[in-house]
Amino acid sequence: MNSFVNKMISVLAVFACSVFASVDAEMEGMEVVSRDDGTFLVGSPTFYFDRVLGTGGVHSESELWTPRKLRYRKLFNRLSILPSWDPIAIPSIWMETGNELGDMIYQDFITEKVDRPKNRTPILEGGIRTPLFHGFWATFRLFQDDHYSYVSSRVYRRFLIDKSFSLLGENLPMFSSVYGGLGYTNDFIEASVLAGMEYIWIFSESSRWIPIKYKPRIEARADFDNFSTTLVYENIEYQNQRKGEFGERHEVNGSVAYNCGEKCKRGMLQLSAGLAFRFVDDDGDVYTGLKNDRVLWPYLEMRFIPMKPLKLDVMFGVNDRDWLVQDSIEYQVPAFERMNISVGAKNIAGTRLNPIADTHEFFDGDTISLTANGYMNLLQAYVYFEDSLTNFIGFGARGSFWAEYGAETFDVKEFVNDTIFTFRHGDVARINSWIKGVTGEFWLKLWYKDLLKFTALTGFERIDGNEKRFEVNPSEFFVSFNADWLIRKTFRISHSLRYRSDAAWNLRSQDPFIVKGDWYWDATFEQRFPKWGLSLAGTIIQALGDEVSEIPNGDSSRMRFFCTAKKAF
Amino acid sequence: MKKLITILALGLTTFLHAEDSLQFRNDSIAVQNDISFSHFAVFLDGGEIYPMGDLMDAVKNTLYGGVGIRYTYWDDVDGIVMFQYAYFKPNTDVFCDGAHQFMGRVGADWKWKLIHPVVLGAGFTCNWTRADAEEKYYDERGSSLNDNETEFGWYARISLPVFKYKEYSAGFHVLWEQLWTLPNRSNMLSAGITIERSLW
Repeated sequence: MNSFVNKMISVLAVFACSVFASVDAEMEGMEVVSRDDGTFLVGSPTFYFDRVLGTGGVHSESELWTPRKLRYRKLFNRLSILPSWDPIAIPSIWMETGNELGDMIYQDFITEKVDRPKNRTPILEGGIRTPLFHGFWATFRLFQDDHYSYVSSRVYRRFLIDKSFSLLGENLPMFSSVYGGLGYTNDFIEASVLAGMEYIWIFSESSRWIPIKYKPRIEARADFDNFSTTLVYENIEYQNQRKGEFGERHEVNGSVAYNCGEKCKRGMLQLSAGLAFRFVDDDGDVYTGLKNDRVLWPYLEMRFIPMKPLKLDVMFGVNDRDWLVQDSIEYQVPAFERMNISVGAKNIAGTRLNPIADTHEFFDGDTISLTANGYMNLLQAYVYFEDSLTNFIGFGARGSFWAEYGAETFDVKEFVNDTIFTFRHGDVARINSWIKGVTGEFWLKLWYKDLLKFTALTGFERIDGNEKRFEVNPSEFFVSFNADWLIRKTFRISHSLRYRSDAAWNLRSQDPFIVKGDWYWDATFEQRFPKWGLSLAGTIIQALGDEVSEIPNGDSSRMRFFCTAKKAF
Repeated sequence: MKKLITILALGLTTFLHAEDSLQFRNDSIAVQNDISFSHFAVFLDGGEIYPMGDLMDAVKNTLYGGVGIRYTYWDDVDGIVMFQYAYFKPNTDVFCDGAHQFMGRVGADWKWKLIHPVVLGAGFTCNWTRADAEEKYYDERGSSLNDNETEFGWYARISLPVFKYKEYSAGFHVLWEQLWTLPNRSNMLSAGITIERSLW
């Protein structure tokens, strides 16, 4: 293998784990809680702002549609892993339970009412995937995250719904999900059909929490040859008991994708293509709308490698309403052994970041348009450098300059106060001027066999422009220290100490909503039993850091602990 | 190039989803060196729990009992899983007669040769409580226990096995635990005896 490929492999392999601490996420799709290599503001398992410093633009990652999110969940106009309907790939059984720390237990006997802390809420997951039986397997999963739910449920959300809005317990969690189903796997096909029900609170452009109940939700998948197909049926119930409103949406959505296979990936020109679609039928009070009740989104992906150090990627999607282009070019500069230098540029342009999302929200007689005229264009150029000095130390840096025209924002016409919440009327709009940013990241890595992997990472970003009507002013700098210890190959301690500077939400309340910068510390302790395929783990999250709400109308992110047991069959 | 694509795919997978968290079972060296569960024992334990600090004003001392398992993890470290029950009576005037408490603990015991036969242990604990009351009150002190309440914490303990006969052993232990409650942390000390039977 030539040195270029060697270098690429080492750089990618090291970089893949450089920004992610190995601290366990409290649930699949909640990895953002333990990240601060950018601006990650979590207001609920079902709504967060996630923007990696260095990606450019003022949008968050979950707002942007890409082909790799074809099987993500669509939560209003965002794309989310959680609540994941990806069947767990390993035949196994697992269980998880945890709690926000600070229930009173017997302290309640000696605590006056005025001194009582707010109630703490739990987390629960259990599931199984059976081993293959003549190619067939079955799976079942029940999961519910009650974190970030208490205050909003007491003062507002519980008045919107019927008595019960969760599968378990007496809290009002932001989501509660259960599904089960059958699958079939052999050398040529992997297929599954899952059915279940869900309670989810979605966060809308008006800043309302909207309860939706999927009953049932059915998802069928089939992956064969180089094709991936997905078909979903959802019966979604809407309600607002306070106003006596009820509605129902019947939705069919899914995708068909052709992915460049192994033989294709050996070629100079690599092509993939697909189609995502949604068809909806609304009845009664449904608080969002999709123009023409349908969206078809065909797309094409292309990778062109004219010579080994040069790579061009293009994704293009278009339909009768929108178009979206994401392309990039990267050149690997010839350099010394163990050293990787690359320069590149990327471009995102389109009429809408997420073309398959609903187009309207309906709020107290107002129709909020979720689309804006014109288009956005994000351009970014970057330089990347990494050097592995020895076989136990390495360092690197990445710098970029970006400029965005027509960034999506929100034109606020009016704020409305309701209990402790503030809602907004208006329309999605654009910032029709250039916003410019410059970013820099530096990292140092140390590793020793499989005993220790340590990364120190810091980054800064400076944003400038004539208009600053961004939904979120990203944090300007961060620093993080991540370490993974593997003692005697079977006991893992992963921990992450991080600081993120202030961030601010601008358009969701009369005054900017400041999320103060703070230090955070998370840690996982795991007993591994390789011979038995067994893992017992305990994780503490946000052991440092003030308990603050990170989004307007959101609940506090609290210190919490959860433990997990997993056993492979 | 094939490896490059594989690495890219792995990187992307890591980015998108949690990696296979049980991947370590495919490490043949780790599997070969894994001596876990080479010895396995079950035990009964019981004794008394003493609330400490301000918790002494909340509940009285009480008895507890439970079961557990001990298994080999490393040569000098055993894994421990315990399930215990206690009924706490209030030490102040509250609406309920008492509270049921179930305790689950997962941890490890370190058989440090220097202090043999004394064994040091530590781990995480999870306590589930519920008030023993016919009627529900919502604004009274203690009323949060009308509903199931769960809290985590950690423990440290010292064990002294003093008796051993064939596959049976018995000894004393003292355990200190701290629950991460609010407005203050809850500390308790327990002392008791353990009777253990080795199964293999």
